Amino acid sequence: MATLDKAYKEIEGIIGSKYITEKDFMKAAYSRNVDPAFPDRWADMIVKPVSSEDVSEIVKIANKFKIPMVPRGGGADLVGGSVTQGGILIDLTRMNNILHINEDNYYCEVEAGITWGALVSRLHDKGLTTGVLGPGSGFSATIGGGLSNSTAGFGSTKYGVVPDICLGVEVVLPNPQGTIIRTGAAANKYAEPFCRYGVAPDFTGLFMGDVGTMGIKTKAFLKLFPVTPFKAQRYYILNKNDYNKVYELLHRLRAEVRDGLHDVLVVPLITMQLLASLVENKPNKRPRLKGPIFSILVEAMDERILDVYLEQVENIMKEDAREFEMQEVDLDATLSRDWKFNLKYAYNYFNKYISVAPPKISCTTCHKVPISAIPDVAEKSNQFDIKYKSEFPLGSISLFATVIFLMPNGNCVIVGGFNADNIDEQRETSMKMWHKKLRLQVRYGGVHYWLGEAISQSIVEADAYTPDFIQFFKNMKKSVDPNFLLSPNKFHMYNYEDEMSRYIVKEE
Amino acid sequence: MVEINSKEKFKHLDKLGPMILQCISCGDCREATDYSSDPPKSGVCVSRDHTVGFEPFFGRGKMQIIRSLWQGKLELSKDLAEVIYQCPICNACSEACAYDMDNATIYEALRAELVDAGCGLEAHIPMNNALIDLLNPYQRNNKEKDNWLQNLGFKVKRAQEDKADILYFVGCTAALTPEIQSVAISTAKVLHKLGVDFAVFGEKEVCCGSVAKRTGDLNAFNSVAIKNYELFKNSGIKKIITSCAGCYRTLKVDYKNYLDDLNIEVLHTIEFLDKFIKDHEINLKKLEMTTTYHDPCHTGRNAGVSPLYEEPRRLLSKITDLIEMKTIKESAKCCGAGGGVKKGFPELALEIAKSRIREAEETGAEYIVSICPFCYRNLLDAIKESKSNLKMIDLLELIDRAIS
Repeated sequence: MATLDKAYKEIEGIIGSKYITEKDFMKAAYSRNVDPAFPDRWADMIVKPVSSEDVSEIVKIANKFKIPMVPRGGGADLVGGSVTQGGILIDLTRMNNILHINEDNYYCEVEAGITWGALVSRLHDKGLTTGVLGPGSGFSATIGGGLSNSTAGFGSTKYGVVPDICLGVEVVLPNPQGTIIRTGAAANKYAEPFCRYGVAPDFTGLFMGDVGTMGIKTKAFLKLFPVTPFKAQRYYILNKNDYNKVYELLHRLRAEVRDGLHDVLVVPLITMQLLASLVENKPNKRPRLKGPIFSILVEAMDERILDVYLEQVENIMKEDAREFEMQEVDLDATLSRDWKFNLKYAYNYFNKYISVAPPKISCTTCHKVPISAIPDVAEKSNQFDIKYKSEFPLGSISLFATVIFLMPNGNCVIVGGFNADNIDEQRETSMKMWHKKLRLQVRYGGVHYWLGEAISQSIVEADAYTPDFIQFFKNMKKSVDPNFLLSPNKFHMYNYEDEMSRYIVKEE
Repeated sequence: MVEINSKEKFKHLDKLGPMILQCISCGDCREATDYSSDPPKSGVCVSRDHTVGFEPFFGRGKMQIIRSLWQGKLELSKDLAEVIYQCPICNACSEACAYDMDNATIYEALRAELVDAGCGLEAHIPMNNALIDLLNPYQRNNKEKDNWLQNLGFKVKRAQEDKADILYFVGCTAALTPEIQSVAISTAKVLHKLGVDFAVFGEKEVCCGSVAKRTGDLNAFNSVAIKNYELFKNSGIKKIITSCAGCYRTLKVDYKNYLDDLNIEVLHTIEFLDKFIKDHEINLKKLEMTTTYHDPCHTGRNAGVSPLYEEPRRLLSKITDLIEMKTIKESAKCCGAGGGVKKGFPELALEIAKSRIREAEETGAEYIVSICPFCYRNLLDAIKESKSNLKMIDLLELIDRAIS
């Protein structure tokens, strides 16, 4: 019996024949995620475990037969993170229970395969929230995926990135023993998982943003916050297309409105023009759009405080911008004063910007830069697009940013990329240019966080990591994954002996 | 990549054009639970919720499979059909889709490809063959469609012989299922009480072909569609009403071109009565009962541009105390019977229906009401199976009681 067949039989014995498959059409259904550049990749088998113990047994069998494994959450990945050519694809969506909501002490314990939408909806019934509501794909993305990608999303201006609300995780290590550990307060077997730091070094951090390379997260312990009852949304349009001014205004908003800011997004002029051209219900007379749009959401526990925040925002913005309404370009849009929060608003980014005109899909990246660097990186990005115009896939549009959003302290996330057709003929060109643009972003000091394959490899190609760092990384991984089986290929890591410096790309 | 001419190989998918490649794989069709939407969404895909839930059990996986087929990376197979047919085509995935993909149409095209390739579900073959041979999917003598007319106590016109303003298209389920004939009987009684000039085809009524269309047997579908076209044309009818959600959707959406050609309007009986009762200021008696309403997919998400969400609720609220379930209207959970699931995977259909019954029980209502004999049948089975105290009833039966 071939190795794969033996492994299949053993796993089948653990999780049952219903929850393992090697059928071709099943593999095809798991062959791609949200990107136009990767080729179809078929796993050897797909499994759906229901518990940490199941995952542990699968890991033991994978080690016994030396078969690679890739964990998968919601599968809304944009950079080749949760598909695999060969090996075992571990679909964790069956592990989707909320185990405990501790209303007294503001934390919860969940299985990693629950979606953000499902968790946030359940919490809302109890007047609670996770603050940052997970990635833009939160209707399908899982908690485990959000942690593995150090995701930012709705609420990040105030609450930070997803690992910032993580108090610990339960992880199955990819070692031959399939060791299950708990981090944070839960490392103390007598303690509830109510805080992250203490007890031991912050091993939770080892698994944050690891894109599934260090362990398989099966449970997570998350901070909770009471829902803030008053929220208001305002738009402003800048009088000119000036990123220096964008930086100044973001700095002032951060300094003066502080905790009142829930989300601050900047939609660049060109993106706004593009979106305006695509709306169905256009007004007869459209405004002349002169600069980026600021979308500012403030929240407060008291309506009077909310009014103060809005006044502060108005005072900051009024010299360089005017109040704007989306109805100026889209008659179906809601007026700011009628705006009410809903999850579709929180998660609309994903669908609105990842593919403004299907079947074209964006080769997208999110990377963080200091807010003072925005003017410089905008210039560098635009120069790149001009210089390499002929190398982009036919008919694609490349944008420095489809949106910029403010993070805690003085950094922001820039979301941008170029779009391409979801066809085999264009994949190679798309992938080549994607990596090239990613290397540019890494080299101007951008910090990517959902890394998958495309981005983690581009960071290596850009020679961002020192040899000492790479060795440290390998040593850490080797301590949990001695047979090098979990999520190979990421970071151009194919085994522990390979010299990663050979993937450095020196041109540009 | 294997070189194939997809356009030649997949003629049903080819008709849909670029639509089949437009799924970006975001996965919102998997779950998309949203407390804040109006109405709230509590999950999306009933098939995924009640099966092992691998990707092909919900929209995104199906779309990836279709793309892989189209690009020559995968072959049609009986194994594939086993999964593809475990979907009631309720189109909740389309409702969740940010790009307004018409998933139901795409899945039906895939099923047509499976049938053409000889990979259709065995369980559906006798049902669809019976459409051609017997003019109904229940493999019964079509003469039995006259049975419910025998004890009405008044005469009903025959559309093939008598002129009438309106054709009442009964549908096979209500005409041939003894437990559900009450839908047809109540409809006729209500129309009679209101003095509406209507006729039926009785034993000459030909199945609309819904089951064949949903299961991909276009040969069977076209066979009955042509017969119906001739019947409608010869009867000179200009308005059809039907109390069956499946017939309603098929006649209204799938027959659109035929019926536009004949200048025939299609209405669900409830849609017709809602307007008639208002226009004629008909008094309805308040019935002392609490009810909850189940939206059939065929009058909701699958009904094209004008879903019937408000009409049944207006009537039901007038005559009973309506208590809504958690998922309603465009977010309503399917009963699980459609798309050939009841025939092909009866246990799955029952499990999905039991889940809907549990949702209905949470309202505390005494009755679960619908306007689809097929939902009626599956939900009734679930009530019996789960020993629920809920009572299943069609809205027409209540209207019949409410009109003195």
